Amino acid sequence: MSLRSPLEGCGVIEGPRGLLLRDLSLARRGGVRGAGAREWLLSQGHTSPDAPNQIVASSESGFVMSLSHREFWLLQPVGEASTGRPASEAVASGVWPLYCQHSHAWLQLAGEPRAEVMAKLCGVDLSDAAFPLGSVAQTQAARVSVIMAAHQDENDQPVFSMFVDQSLARYLWEAIEDAMAEFI
Amino acid sequence: MTDRLPLPFGSRIKRDAPVRARFDGRELPALEGDTVASALVASGQWVISRSFKYHRPRGPLTMAGHDANTLVQTPAAPNRLADELPIAEYPDTTAQNVSGSLMADRNAIIDWFGRFLPVGFYYRAFYKPFGVWHWWERMIRKAAGLGVANLSATPHYQDKQYLFCDVAVVGAGPAGLSAALQAAEGGASVLLIDEQPELGGSLSYHRFAIDNEAVRSEAETLIASVASHPRIKVLTHALCNGWFTDHYLPVIQGDRMFKVRAKSCVLATGSSEQHVVFRNNDLPGVVLCSALERLLNHYAVAPQGELVVLAGNDQAWLTAFTAAEAGLSVAAVVDLRDAPEDGALLAEARARGITVHMAATVYNARRDSRSQSLCGIDIYQIDAQGEVGNLIAEYDCAVLAMSAGFMPAYQLACQAGAKLDYDDDRAAFTLTGLPAGLLVAGSVNSMDSLDAVLVDGRNAARAALRCIDMTADEDEPIICAAQVNHPWPIFPHPKGREFVDFDEDLQIKDIVNATRLGYRDVQLVKRYSTVGMGPSQGRHSALPTARLVAQATARSVSETGVTTARPPVKPEALGHIAGRRFHPHRHTAIADRHDAAGAQWMPAGLWGRPAFYGEPNHKQRCVAEEVMAVRTGVGVIDVSTLGGIELRGPDAAEFMNRFYTYGFLKQPVGRTRYAVLVSEQGVVIDDGVAARLAEDHFYATATTGGVDRVYREMLRWNAQWRLSVDIANVTAAFSAINIAGPDSRAVLESLGCSIELSAEAFPYLGCREGDVAGIPSRLMRVGFVGELGYELHVPSLFAAGLWDAIIEAGAQWHIKPFGVEAQRLLRLEKGHIIVGQDTDGMTHPGEVGLDWAMNRTKTDFVGRRSVDILAASAPIRQLVGFSLDLTAPKPLEGHLVIKDGDIVGNVTSCEISPTLNQIIGLAYAHPDDANPGDHIAIRTEGGALVQARVEALPFYDPGNARQAL
Repeated sequence: MSLRSPLEGCGVIEGPRGLLLRDLSLARRGGVRGAGAREWLLSQGHTSPDAPNQIVASSESGFVMSLSHREFWLLQPVGEASTGRPASEAVASGVWPLYCQHSHAWLQLAGEPRAEVMAKLCGVDLSDAAFPLGSVAQTQAARVSVIMAAHQDENDQPVFSMFVDQSLARYLWEAIEDAMAEFI
Repeated sequence: MTDRLPLPFGSRIKRDAPVRARFDGRELPALEGDTVASALVASGQWVISRSFKYHRPRGPLTMAGHDANTLVQTPAAPNRLADELPIAEYPDTTAQNVSGSLMADRNAIIDWFGRFLPVGFYYRAFYKPFGVWHWWERMIRKAAGLGVANLSATPHYQDKQYLFCDVAVVGAGPAGLSAALQAAEGGASVLLIDEQPELGGSLSYHRFAIDNEAVRSEAETLIASVASHPRIKVLTHALCNGWFTDHYLPVIQGDRMFKVRAKSCVLATGSSEQHVVFRNNDLPGVVLCSALERLLNHYAVAPQGELVVLAGNDQAWLTAFTAAEAGLSVAAVVDLRDAPEDGALLAEARARGITVHMAATVYNARRDSRSQSLCGIDIYQIDAQGEVGNLIAEYDCAVLAMSAGFMPAYQLACQAGAKLDYDDDRAAFTLTGLPAGLLVAGSVNSMDSLDAVLVDGRNAARAALRCIDMTADEDEPIICAAQVNHPWPIFPHPKGREFVDFDEDLQIKDIVNATRLGYRDVQLVKRYSTVGMGPSQGRHSALPTARLVAQATARSVSETGVTTARPPVKPEALGHIAGRRFHPHRHTAIADRHDAAGAQWMPAGLWGRPAFYGEPNHKQRCVAEEVMAVRTGVGVIDVSTLGGIELRGPDAAEFMNRFYTYGFLKQPVGRTRYAVLVSEQGVVIDDGVAARLAEDHFYATATTGGVDRVYREMLRWNAQWRLSVDIANVTAAFSAINIAGPDSRAVLESLGCSIELSAEAFPYLGCREGDVAGIPSRLMRVGFVGELGYELHVPSLFAAGLWDAIIEAGAQWHIKPFGVEAQRLLRLEKGHIIVGQDTDGMTHPGEVGLDWAMNRTKTDFVGRRSVDILAASAPIRQLVGFSLDLTAPKPLEGHLVIKDGDIVGNVTSCEISPTLNQIIGLAYAHPDDANPGDHIAIRTEGGALVQARVEALPFYDPGNARQAL
């Protein structure tokens, strides 16, 4: 049985200056949470951010994003999501897998004016100076909770990855599309 | 086309870009860059509006959008300021607040009866006899109408955007420019904001010296440096309309409101030039010196007729020289003082052939009956403060430019908590008491010479940088001894009409009389007289009002002060505050399938849920068909909006046992239990089903609207209990589909299910994990609608595929999707309550028959003590089921239950049951009437009382055989 993105049919939105909004909801991601989560990550060969709200490249052409001292998401933009049963049992003592593959949609915004676009939706300063690569913010955009992460895409271009409750994905997509309009 | 002055006059206009415009239906020649007001003056017309109260003709005063004299109507909106309205964007404008026409306004007769309309006459004239005000109110509001709102105008797109910077500089005049440059050079990111279309502020129109060339050159260099600086972002045509804590600034530019977050802020907002108060000082053609300079330098407009300059400071003389160089006929300079500070001005005036009158004032201005504008003035010698002696000259001039001094543009600073102190020596207000990180620079900081202003700007930038630890530089020394304010430019006339506040048509006597009536405090004077309440917000009236109140109450001007400044600084459209509206809405992963099936949607919090499927005007039939499908065959409903919370860890069962009312320690793996949550006050606040998937793993559902609260409460309690359990809100991660009806098992089996589905292997209230149609699923046997049913919880990305598979497989059993309306009816037939609908903020478990779900053998649960106390108290109401024949009026939810004339409860649910063929419902009733067979009186629509039979619950399948099939 195939998976279906909550943003199926939205396609991509492109504009000048590299502006690009795309849906990565079917890209592979997972997460772990618990007191020993960081140690478990390291034991699995992953890199781990030093502090909460950071994102770093991992050894598997993906990223590890820290949302707290004990919660980490593993992101693989170029990997396909598993169609198997999401794990629910502890991966180690006190370390629980998360269902972020299904709970959150993954939107990615690239391009030079991406911070200006998001400034119409989000009260956090997302400019390069204030929100450099590697930064993560758990904030609100267009009045819904969003996890924002600044990192480089597969072409080494700076992007914002945004993770939003999948039931709100289409709403947020439309809000960003509206904010992008003046740049297109 | 009217002739315009040659270059360098006219910095804003494009001479080769004529605009076809109309004002009041008349052709109005204009150029691109003109405002409506500049085009009107260029065409020889000074009159633009009628005053608010007396309907006196009014023309531009400031040419900067800082007065109400230029209010006009555009096709889309009233009350637009003609002196800031670009004519190219608004080519069709009309006068407003007139009866007849602008030049022949019938309401102008009110001016003749002005003596009968003293200040406060509303309060004193129209309140007797009691109730008559409502009659007067209609007339007064009509007479005082200011334009017409176009109710059919199409709203245009307005939005908001955040902007961030280290230093925000408000005002791009010389002080703002030098502050911005200094801050940027210090490494800060700078946002420079100005309401005018160009950088420079007064540098763009004002003459700072007799020989202004050096200033002009310096200004060009400064502006170019700022405009090209990579760390300075410039917002022109942008109005900073407020200051809020931590330098949060709303800035309006076009259709956007920027929400600026600055680390520190420099206010270089300048100052407002002040008028001289004399008889008929409001006539069109009487302008501030800065307004004349703007007309000349921005728009290359040279008003026709002779010009006289009325000076209270040296700067006004420079205006006269600029006008003379532009070719205007400057008849005289009339100075309120005995001599100018700079003696060179006298020599220059004589050299230009300009007559000079010292220690004199304009005491009266005369109006031309045809043009209704200024046609002459009378000059009187000043004998003492506010007193004149002999007439010394008369001029038949068409333009009078005046400057009595300057008032700091204090609004933003005072919003931030600054105080205004009056300096008697300089006859000027100064600002003190600014909060940390907020600086003032330039003329708002009482710096009036250009050199001092530039230094002050740099010093303010240094201070701003010091506040954010970006510099340790010390300030430059600064001296400014210029005296720009005349101490008493107020000259009462026996016939009045010396206007203090043009917006509200307030004269000297209005202010003085207010104090005589006992309103000694300037705040009370404002409320009684309405001074400062108009669109100008006291820019020109605050200073003369403070002086007049001080004199009338024998106090100092400092003691009198000015009225409180509050945001917004200038009127703003509600659309700017609203911005782009964000209305988050949640859709389940199957929403498009419901659309395709003809769903009619209903809101459930942020969610959209199918109410039923079919045509809206056939709702009752559609719902009945859906109900019957579930009762007789099979139906399917999307219940993904149900909350889902996972509890994993060795203490998961202990946590559940403490949190919910029922016992969970001994709940077997593979079984579900009804989970009721009560508050610490013993009120039922949520319910759901808890499935035990493993010894250390529970999956609990919660109501659609209550899950966030439940999750929050779980986290809060475990912060105290510190149990070893991971709590996760997985509402979005799992979608849920309920297949219900006698054929539901067959449908599931045909889908291909890895779980044995027989009643023995998978009984009622069981839960299993397995694959359905190849999709990893959690299955729960539930009975909310009272039939054999399976709730399938699947990871959300699989949900649409599962729904499609169910619909396809169920086709041979004529499976039918059903919506919330049918679901509610089905559960009502089964007597199940919905928390939030059948409960309220006072409902305790005993009232709704949930005593059985209170496990009193366990040590404790949240709310236990309150539940026990409430259970031991005498009951005051009980939720009961009731029925009525179909012929009876159908009660609605909320209708009252009456007993012996008193309200004892209300209806919480009521529907027509197609299964039972009667009206059924739930209602709170008196405990004495809560037994089956009793009757309760329900007051229905129109007040009719119906007697309903109390029924045993559930109405349908009382033995619960069908759900346990």
